[in-house]
Amino acid sequence: MKNRLKVLRAERDWTQAQLADALDVSRQTVNAIETGKFDPSLPLAFRAARLFRMRIEEIFHDPTPDKDGGNLATEIKKDTDV
Amino acid sequence: MNQVKRPENGYQSRIRANVIRLFRWNGAWGAATALMAFGPKLLWNRTLVFTLLAVGLDVAVGVGMILANKNYLAELDELQRKVQLNSMGITLGVAVVAGVPFSVMDAYHVIPFHADIAYLLILMSLTFAVSNLYGTRRYR
Repeated sequence: MKNRLKVLRAERDWTQAQLADALDVSRQTVNAIETGKFDPSLPLAFRAARLFRMRIEEIFHDPTPDKDGGNLATEIKKDTDV
Repeated sequence: MNQVKRPENGYQSRIRANVIRLFRWNGAWGAATALMAFGPKLLWNRTLVFTLLAVGLDVAVGVGMILANKNYLAELDELQRKVQLNSMGITLGVAVVAGVPFSVMDAYHVIPFHADIAYLLILMSLTFAVSNLYGTRRYR
């Protein structure tokens, strides 16, 4: 799963340690998420979304296309927008 | 700089407190185990009552150590808990896979020494240390 955590953190001029404090996790966990080595759980993703005041899908997204070659989240969004 | 709000009882300080608590319980269990192992011979001349008391103390402190370990795991964040649980799983597997043949080899005198539980504990400690180090470095 890809994410924009590093960019969002840099925009706010926060260190990994500060972000880790705010998310109540270790700095290593923030680093592992930022580098894509570890995918956060849904509760942690929600905490990040609340912290940055964004929706989860604005921070995290799955780049894997579905069988039809599209992105499932995009397809669902299209359906709900109609 | 845009300051992020720091929680009063932060993750690092909670983990530090839990690690200290865990070390204390581990130390107490080690001391209780030593008392139980060497006390009958060196301190109370194999008096049954004292030996039973030492066994009871060892088990009670052991339960405290298990609970401290459980609390430590519960307080870890999800990545660190994953690393710990992976290490524990590997350690358990190695203990079973190595322990049973080791015991059989002792029973059939394939090895020239007694298959003491201490060997298994040493193997488990080393396995846990290596797998924990590997897991920690993997996500660094």
